[in-house]
Amino acid sequence: MTRFATLSHAWMAWDGPAPAPEDAALDHTKELDKFLAEVERRAFRIAQVSLRDADDALDVVQDAMLKLARNYSAKPSAEWRPLFYRILENGIRDLQRRRAVRKRLMVWLPGPKEDPDEEAQDPLDSVAAGGADVPELLMQDQAMAKLETSLRALPARQREAFMLRNFEGLDVAETARAMGCSEGSVKTHYSRAVHTLREQLGEVW
Amino acid sequence: MNESNLDPSPFEERGRRLFDASVERVDMRVRSRLNVARHAALDAAQGSRSRFFRVPVWTSAAGVTVAGVLAVAIWFGGPGGHAAHLAAPTETGTNLEDLELVASSDDASAPPMDMLQDDIDFYEWAADKGMTPDSGNVG
Repeated sequence: MTRFATLSHAWMAWDGPAPAPEDAALDHTKELDKFLAEVERRAFRIAQVSLRDADDALDVVQDAMLKLARNYSAKPSAEWRPLFYRILENGIRDLQRRRAVRKRLMVWLPGPKEDPDEEAQDPLDSVAAGGADVPELLMQDQAMAKLETSLRALPARQREAFMLRNFEGLDVAETARAMGCSEGSVKTHYSRAVHTLREQLGEVW
Repeated sequence: MNESNLDPSPFEERGRRLFDASVERVDMRVRSRLNVARHAALDAAQGSRSRFFRVPVWTSAAGVTVAGVLAVAIWFGGPGGHAAHLAAPTETGTNLEDLELVASSDDASAPPMDMLQDDIDFYEWAADKGMTPDSGNVG
């Protein structure tokens, strides 16, 4: 077979035009949209458990989505989840640090002391209209409220490990990437978190 | 899901189910704000991607300007520049004299005894005439 014949066969094996850059970008955007739609409410709840404030949680999630889209959207989609939760956890920690500083300053400043951690929430706010029966929903709410209270009492790293592994379903390797630590540390944090929560909530919880 | 990626215990299962249920009950105000935030993020992603692939207009204008400045600098700049040869085509002789001056030894730096031996006849003549450096009556 001559050289030209080989080339012509290779040409025949090529099954159509390559996708245009615009189409590839559109597919990528759709994929990112799907990913963000999947994680946004779960991320919001995770942030809300840590921050105890819906508006702060929304701000942190919005910031995490923007940072992921701006800086890491070109990365393979398989890497988005640990990256997104790493950005989210960093945002939560930053906000908690700022709150701690603000709390220390408020001691020295005159005027009303504002503490978002102490804001009372109306339990009816979280009850959805329709759907499951109200007693069942109230029981779920109470159980979740207990779990959230116990989670907030945990050390931050244990809480992060529990929420990423249990709530978000990340495996050990993904959790380690999201937390920026070793897989061994994740196992230790998670194991201690489960042990403490089980002790606090009891088996009948 | 104990310490590693094993099956979760009933305790962990319950925690997961409660969390999923709470996610489903996120209110409409929050859902709406998350939706807006997601679209803002997608816009940002498209913006950053198009910025990455597109050559901005100002880049081509700046490139032409820089190229022009470089061309002028190379044309006129430096002693070996093209303009220097054009400006002084008849100074080749002068340049050669300069080279000879630079290459020749500097008389002022020669030792005094060497100078004396070079002009020994002149100094003998000056001594015969009774001239001193301070007298000033030459001739």
